[in-house]
Amino acid sequence: MRDKILMAYRSIRERRSRSILTVLGIAVGIAAIVALVSVGYGMEEAITGELTTFTDLITVIPGKMVGATYVEQGSFTDRDIKDLQRMGGIKAVTAMTYGAAEVEYRNQRRPIFILGGDAEELGGFYLDPVGLKEGRWLRTNDYKACVIGNRVATDFFTEEIRVNDKLLINGEKFVVVGVFDKASTLYAADVDPHIFLTLRAAKDVMQTDEVKYLMVRVYTIDEAEAIAEEIEKRINSNHGLDEFATAMTMGSMLEQIGTVFRILRGVLVGIAAIALVIASIGIMNTMLMSVMERTHEIGVMKAIGAKSRDVLSLFLLESSMVSLAGGVVGCVIGVLLARIISLIAGSALGIEFVASVKAVVLLGGIAVAMGVGVLSGFYPARKASKMSPVEAVRYE
Amino acid sequence: MIHTEHLTKIYRMGEAEVYALHDVNLEIQDGEFVAIVGPSGSGKSTLLNMIGCLDKPTSGSVFIDGIDTALLTDNELAEIRRQKIGFIFQQFNLIHTLNALENVALPLFFAGVGREARLKRARELLLNVGLEDRMYHKPSELSGGEQQRVAIARALANNPEIIIGDEPTGNVDSATGHAIMAILEGLNKEGRTIIVVTHDPEIAAHAGQTKRMRDGRVRD
Repeated sequence: MRDKILMAYRSIRERRSRSILTVLGIAVGIAAIVALVSVGYGMEEAITGELTTFTDLITVIPGKMVGATYVEQGSFTDRDIKDLQRMGGIKAVTAMTYGAAEVEYRNQRRPIFILGGDAEELGGFYLDPVGLKEGRWLRTNDYKACVIGNRVATDFFTEEIRVNDKLLINGEKFVVVGVFDKASTLYAADVDPHIFLTLRAAKDVMQTDEVKYLMVRVYTIDEAEAIAEEIEKRINSNHGLDEFATAMTMGSMLEQIGTVFRILRGVLVGIAAIALVIASIGIMNTMLMSVMERTHEIGVMKAIGAKSRDVLSLFLLESSMVSLAGGVVGCVIGVLLARIISLIAGSALGIEFVASVKAVVLLGGIAVAMGVGVLSGFYPARKASKMSPVEAVRYE
Repeated sequence: MIHTEHLTKIYRMGEAEVYALHDVNLEIQDGEFVAIVGPSGSGKSTLLNMIGCLDKPTSGSVFIDGIDTALLTDNELAEIRRQKIGFIFQQFNLIHTLNALENVALPLFFAGVGREARLKRARELLLNVGLEDRMYHKPSELSGGEQQRVAIARALANNPEIIIGDEPTGNVDSATGHAIMAILEGLNKEGRTIIVVTHDPEIAAHAGQTKRMRDGRVRD
């Protein structure tokens, strides 16, 4: 066996540049699979990892998801909130509202999203994971105070907004008491472009009484699903509609995210599979050319006593060695690529995650490469082994 | 002993049928040195390939030590080639990626002989043909005569009873040609059967027996 490997290695080396190109062809396919899958896992872990710290949370929205679109059916009333507060198993209910407002700073006007809620609860959600760059968080009795997201402070206006600067929100004067740090992936969309007010101030400034969503915390995580159903039932009966409210537990959100990532991974693996098919055609081509070039050599080997089996195994060994090398190189490139993608995503897109390289993915990549090598090497190898010795010897 | 019975090989060239061998009946005793001579296209190489089990007849048969080779499978033919026959070609046909030693050891590799034993035997064989100082040279670094001597050493690797040479001196100068024939004569004295195809009467003179061929038939 050792001798066969040595012989296969010789003839691979003999065609060095072509062998290297074939190895690269496979490596690209495997690298694509490894990188894409690792990036997918990394994103999933980053997001689900942060979400799992909120497993006692139920989010209630006055509407439902139809496919990927949110259809709002109205807003919650004080009675809804009071009903929920009376339910068993619920630790806290927070009413939240949001809406766009016109914000003026040093004579520049921008439409910005306003988020209003109970100061303590809002703080519980965003303060710990994101943190303040400067200033302080909202207090329950604050009225003309606001905390702004990082992009509101730095990107939205020509001049940077600092603590104690004044903003006009829909014409009303507010003092900036705090500025958020730049948020991580999960929170970036929620925090960075928003202005945070107390619920009372938000309702006043947007001249609305609407409660756009509720955040409910439960005592026991195991009961979350049951409580979520009960919440939907109560609110639906308050509004006389069958499907007025949707209550989502963190668990079900995690599941949904998981589904999204499974689909994403499927698509990514599909793309990589196409790359692999192309690579395997490359191997087949290389091996066929190698067979043709060595027709004479095969004839000589047969004349001096090689059996078809010997020739078949030599050529198969050659193609699987080439693809093994391709698989290993592909894994290395794939891991590097995954790191680079997560770095770029981190700095350019503000999505922070670490690509998660799993041993299973690496082993799978090498296995796939070997499989491709053996399969696409089989036809040329068989062709080589079936040659008539006298014709092969005569071939020049 | 080798003998053929009604050995016939027909090649199809489009519509026409060409008799490369036409009902050849031949007997070669063990230990004979036979030269097969004849003009090109007379079928002498085809006959040699049949005897060497490289090609299959259209009809008739080649018997080697009483075995009817027409009844054998490809693998069994490979086995016969490996155990009983050593080939020497006009073009030497060494594997150019392997050095002289490895070329000589190659038949032993296919015979399943271990690496150490293989290289030891190959060294001895190269020593016998006077190439002990060229063992690690690639074929491209050897002269024609040296390459043919490597090829003879390779043909002897499995210690076959029969050595077959298809114009073994066709690609070397006449002095080297006679040297190669001298080696073959030596092998014949050891008791091996030697069958050589040539169109050079001087070379044929080394053989104990000459068989003339014309139009696919043997005329003694």
